[in-house]
Formats: sequence, C-alpha cells, structure tokens
Amino acid sequence: MILNGVEIRDSFAEAFPMVGTRLIITADTPEWALIAGRTTTGFATSVIGCGCEAGIERTLGPEETPDGRPGVSLLIFAMDFGSLKKVVPLRLGQCVLTCPTTACYAGIEGGKRVPLAKTIRYFADGHQISKKIGGSKGEGMRFWRLPVMEGEFVCDEDTGSVDGVGGGNFLILARSRGEALKAAEAAVAAMMQVPGIILPFPGGVVRSGSKVGSKYKGLFASTNDAYCPTLRGTVPSQLPDTVGSVLEIVIDGVSFEAVAEATKVGITAVCALGAEGGVVAIDAGNYGGNLGPFHFKLREIMQGAGETA
Amino acid sequence: MSGVSLKPRAPFEARVDLSGLTPEVTGPLTLRELEHKEVPCGGRRVKLAELFFVEGAPDGVLLIEIGDVRLDGVGAGMTTGELIVDGTVGAFAGRCMSGGVLRIGGEAGDFLGSEMSGGRIELAGHAGSHAGAAGSGSRRGLSGGVLVIGGDAGPRAAERQRGGLITIAGNAGEGLATDMIAGTVSVGGAIGPLMGRGMKRGTIFVDAVPELPAGFVDTGAHELVALRLLARRVPELAARLQGWTKARRIVGDTLIGGQGEVLARG
Repeated sequence: MILNGVEIRDSFAEAFPMVGTRLIITADTPEWALIAGRTTTGFATSVIGCGCEAGIERTLGPEETPDGRPGVSLLIFAMDFGSLKKVVPLRLGQCVLTCPTTACYAGIEGGKRVPLAKTIRYFADGHQISKKIGGSKGEGMRFWRLPVMEGEFVCDEDTGSVDGVGGGNFLILARSRGEALKAAEAAVAAMMQVPGIILPFPGGVVRSGSKVGSKYKGLFASTNDAYCPTLRGTVPSQLPDTVGSVLEIVIDGVSFEAVAEATKVGITAVCALGAEGGVVAIDAGNYGGNLGPFHFKLREIMQGAGETA
Repeated sequence: MSGVSLKPRAPFEARVDLSGLTPEVTGPLTLRELEHKEVPCGGRRVKLAELFFVEGAPDGVLLIEIGDVRLDGVGAGMTTGELIVDGTVGAFAGRCMSGGVLRIGGEAGDFLGSEMSGGRIELAGHAGSHAGAAGSGSRRGLSGGVLVIGGDAGPRAAERQRGGLITIAGNAGEGLATDMIAGTVSVGGAIGPLMGRGMKRGTIFVDAVPELPAGFVDTGAHELVALRLLARRVPELAARLQGWTKARRIVGDTLIGGQGEVLARG
C-alpha cells in the first residue's frame, strides 16, 4: 500500500492489555495545572523501567472541570490493577498534593476503584474533612479536603479504572533524522486530538525502539537492531538503503478503538508529508504475535485512506 | 393519570397514619387490593377506601390530594418511586426514607425526614421541629439524601445529622445542628443562638457570621476550592454559593474536640 508516496508495510503493531485510570487535575491557572500534569506524568514512559506509563491526555477549559478552574486530564496505565493502586497514590502524593493551587478529581466512573484521597488523606494528620452529598449509603462520590500551608487540597476519594491497551505503535522510516523528527512531530500533534489515548514517551516520540530480550542476561529488552540504520549490513536489517533514521510513536489507550483511531490519525499526518517530506515507509513493532493479544494491522487501519500507487 | 391518587372522602375523625403506604408498596397492588389495604386511624385500622377515593393505575407514583388535613407518616420508609402530596402533612413524613422522591406542596409537621438515609424530600412550606434530625431515642439524624425546606425549619433541625444535605431557605429555629456528626446544612435566613453546639464534624453555610456558642473559633476568611466544587456538584447549593470567592470559617465545637465548620460569606 502506498499513500502519497509512502509505503505502508504489511505489518502490525502488537499491543498488550493494561489497566488504566484518568485523573482530572485543576489549578488556579492553566500553567499550574500543566505543571502538575507534567510532574505527575514524569518518568512514566515505559512500564519496563517506570512501573507505569502516563501522559497528559488533553488540557481542559474551566467549563469542563468539576471546580470550574482550568485543568488537565491525565491517563496512567500499569500492567495490573495492583500495580496501578500502588503507583497512582504515590504520584498523587508527590506531584499533585505538593503543587500549588491544585485539586484532583476522578476522571473515570466505572471499574475497580483506584484510591486517591482514600490513601493520602492521612497526610492531614486528623484535620482532613470529608464531604459526600446526596445518594444513599454507599452511593455518590466522596471528596476530601486536606489543609495545606497554601490553603486547602481538595481531592476525590477514589477514581475508576478501565481495561486499556498498551504498546500500540508505528515506526516512521525516513531519509534523515531531521525529516523523521518532523514527521513524528506532525503525527504527535494530530494524535493528541484523539480522546482516550496518551503518547507516554518524551514528546510522544521514541528513538530507542526495542526488541524483546538481549544478549545480556537479565535484560528484558534491547535496541531494535533491525531498525537501526547504523547497523544496516551487520544485522538482518529491515531498512532499505534510503532510510537514514527511524522514530517510533507508542500509544496507550483506554480501548482498542481509541488506539486504532490514534494510529490512523498519526499515520495519515505522516503520509501528508509524503515522500517529498522524506518519509520512506511506515512500519510497526511486533514480536511475531507473542507479546500481546492486540494486533493493529497497518493496512487494515489505513484502509480507505486514499491509496495511491 | 399516571399512578394512584388518594382523595379524602370526608374530614377524618382521628389521626391517620400512612407510614408504609409508599409507591413501592402500592405499585404492585391492584386498585381493588389497594382499596382494601388497612391503615391506622385513631385506635383502629380502617380500609383505605373508607377514608379516600382511590383512583388511577398503581405504578411508581402516588399522589395524595389532602389539602389541610394532616396525615402522619407520609412517605415514611420510602425506598423508591415518587410520592406527591398536594397539601400539608403531619408528623414523621419521610421518616427513615432511603430512596425515592417525596414532594410536599404545603407544610410539614415534626420529624420531617428524621433518620433519613437516602432519597430526596422537597417541602414547599415550613417544617416543624426536628427536621432531618434523630428520632426520639435515636442517635441517627439524617445520614444521606437531600432534604429541601422552602420555608422555615423549627427547633432542632439537623440534630445529630451524620451525612447528606439539608437546605433551609428561611430561618432555622433554636438548636440547629446540635450534636451534628457530619453532613451539610445551608440556612438562608436567621439562626438560633445554640447552632452547632456539640458539633463534631459537618458544614453549616450561613450568610453572615452568626452568634455562636462558646467553643467556636474563627479561623479567618479563606479561598476554599471546595466551595467551587460544591457549587458545581450540588445543584441545591449552586445558587447559594454563587459569587463566594472566600468564606469565613468558624470551627467548632472545640469544647468537645469537634472539627465542624460554619462557613459564612467572606
């Protein structure tokens, strides 16, 4: 399949199940909400080393947030619910509670409950105040008010969770590093408009795509040598001579459909730059179908996107 | 018409207690079964048809067109459905209610919504004493749900309240929220001098800093994000909290180690 001179390879991205949750963080100003969001999702690129994958889903206007202040929506994913339950309160306590003017609210209603203030309320040393309005016993949402030096930290007791998808991806094979980066930036800008997904890596882009395993004992992953241009000829390479640089976009989402939609939007944005923009091909990372049950087949996803020879 | 309607045949000779005659009870019955259902009237039990014209089709709605006759226990024990009273009710309306909606167009007697744990009561007029409070001998005031009083509330409203929301558009009598354990109360008018005495937790919204019992400590005026949140999440408080950027926070009752708060527009 060729789109605007870019080859869409007959490959698929292999993704795996994750458990995720959404937090809504608000602050007095959009800047402080963003600072809280970035801090909370910092060092959360890959579960391999960080324990979770997190990112800012989108920014929120005052009319969209529970307290009428500007905010951000975050998604945090972990490999299982137990890990999610541990990692969310840690990040909440270290990065949101500490950040001036912030408040934190549940962003998902259903699913198993992930503790928020339920855990960190004890920081208030007995001065915490809970409030639950309406509903019968066991119904409704409870929030907590924790006195802090700057004023008061307001936080929902817990939030819901979803069974999500982690590790959706595609690879941009370009002539040069500059052209690969430009294409990746275009993809990220377009994909961030898709609801329900995050791109957890720096700026949404990964340069160190990996393969499973390593020659070194104890390492789970190592550089994806088949896609390293500087190794062409020394390993079984997947890269033609025209490719000088490869970047990967990794996608986590709240559903298969959200990841598929983001993949389509991203590849479309890359292909809009076309061969003239230095993009040679689009490929995807997979491990023969052994890593996870979710397969995002590139050509199926891009079906009807305006194929040209 | 949807639901069942009850209209008195004649003025009652004794107090009638409708406790337990709720939409979930009347819904499954046929009209004939409903007419034969007995309710306490004075010292005896009387068939409903002897007291009321029973009309309509039983479902989740019960309409009582009662005028000024004060029936006791209207909506007591409700768990679901809708009960509408076109008129005034006596004591214990909505007592121990845990769900559904009770709308009263007139006034209510004592113990309206006492020991209520869920659902919603909307009263257009004034309420008697002990609205949303603990019943006699009980330690449990309103613990969930919403009680909206369009007029004044008599003494001891919200006594021992431990959750949920009570809004009083008018004045609150003496002893509002005494021994309150948790929950939220909003008063639009004047309050009595014993408000919040013995209060452990909970929040009381008032317009101006009131005279409070000893044991309440003024912590100053503060910007509270919780005000914004409550204004958005709780429709009953939206109008009340409109424009509140700060609240004067008075904490008490410290004489018993309480951490309740009275919030006045700051």
